[in-house]
Amino acid sequence: MGGLLIITASGLLGILFSNRLSSRYNELKNLRRFMQMLETEVTYGATPLPAALRNISNKAEGLISSFFVCISDSLTDRRFYTLWDAWVFAADTALADSSLQRSDIELVKSFGSILGGSDRADQKKHFELFYLQLKHQEDAALEEIKRSSKMYRSLGFLLGIAVFVVLV
Amino acid sequence: MAMSNDIKILEVLDYLPKHIRQMIRKLPEETLAGIEEIRLRLGKPLCVSGCDLELFITADGKDTADAGKAYLVSGDDLKSSLQLVCNFSMYSVEEELKNGFVTVCGGHRVGVCGRVVAENSKVRTMKDISYMNFRIAKQIIGASDKVIGYLIRSPDCIYNTLIISPPQCGKTTLLRDLTRKLSSGSEAHLFQGMKISLIDERSEIAACSLGIPRNDVGIRTDVLDGCPKAEGILMMIRSMSPEIIATDEIGRREDADAIIDAVNAGVKVVTTIHGSSIGDFLKKQDLSRIQRGVFERYVVLSRRNGVGTIEAVLDGSFNLLFDINQK
Repeated sequence: MGGLLIITASGLLGILFSNRLSSRYNELKNLRRFMQMLETEVTYGATPLPAALRNISNKAEGLISSFFVCISDSLTDRRFYTLWDAWVFAADTALADSSLQRSDIELVKSFGSILGGSDRADQKKHFELFYLQLKHQEDAALEEIKRSSKMYRSLGFLLGIAVFVVLV
Repeated sequence: MAMSNDIKILEVLDYLPKHIRQMIRKLPEETLAGIEEIRLRLGKPLCVSGCDLELFITADGKDTADAGKAYLVSGDDLKSSLQLVCNFSMYSVEEELKNGFVTVCGGHRVGVCGRVVAENSKVRTMKDISYMNFRIAKQIIGASDKVIGYLIRSPDCIYNTLIISPPQCGKTTLLRDLTRKLSSGSEAHLFQGMKISLIDERSEIAACSLGIPRNDVGIRTDVLDGCPKAEGILMMIRSMSPEIIATDEIGRREDADAIIDAVNAGVKVVTTIHGSSIGDFLKKQDLSRIQRGVFERYVVLSRRNGVGTIEAVLDGSFNLLFDINQK
């Protein structure tokens, strides 16, 4: 009985790890999707950021939505006086519970240093570069999933079995 | 609902960094009421000015005539202010930056000065902004009282009017009050009120915010907010059947062409131009089409006896109807 529990627990742990990787991939994809919506607001609508971010947050869900709302509110309330400060704060708080890895969050943060700081044509170029960088992270995440998921799942179960065998 | 002028300065202070805002708020009420401009200059003393008043502000919110004691504006102050003025989005004020100023909520004009990025001899954008001038827009009800009598032709008709004024002499304030009076009517002048289409290119006259005018521009006024003048005039003629077109600061050939179209369509025109005399108006080549036979009244402004001083009123043939020197 105890052995079965150990095997199950280890197996579950393995599944958790692989789910985290899938989560990361989905979050990156979502982020890119909503950034594209933000780009439309910026380059076509010339909508100022507090309103643009709020508009997007209504369409987004979960962490991405909270991320945008956090920035929009902190600017409107004058808690921060520059976009950079608000952006970094939101990245450190709203995205802390996400499955995004440190390199992903650093990438998101760096975008905050140029957002809103130049004319439409220039902003468009920065957005395009950001998509390329995000896509790069997404591809790396997908690779990692393929490589690791099978490994984690089977490793989990194997470990369980090994412990069981040792104990018995 | 029109906003009280005491609140107007608070609207502008919202665009300044917190510590500077607090410094200025500490000034006495009468001083605050008299402030027309707040200036930020990189590395130089913080300065406020108004009619007959120029003060430097110290770090603890006291006014002083001694520049040496004043708070010196830092690079961060200007960066924060610029972010607030642009609403954290430079791209949203691209067109305005090309003209050197941004209009913020409430109709206040914020002039900016720095390094211009030019392309083919035209201003593309501005960066390294080291100088900012916050001009507080105030509505003065009654600003047009002294002059409106000359502009009314009959209970339901006015003369095509051009207001000629140097900067900071109350031209926009006059235009705003004139629009209000001509729209809502004036019992004192037995004037019924006419339908006015206001083309508020810089959002300064009506100061619309989310579609609601912050200033009272009259009950029969339709406001086209943020629209280039020439196009706006044509749009309004076609859609809103105005009896009067009101707009500020004409200067381009297209503006003159649009005014001719308005006059030919039977619409009266009230507008303004930068200059200190009729001569300045007649020298502008781009406006040659409207220099004869269009305007029936000219009002010249100055600051001689304070903002909004009426120097002269002339008719269409440049005969003096009022001259400040012969009062």
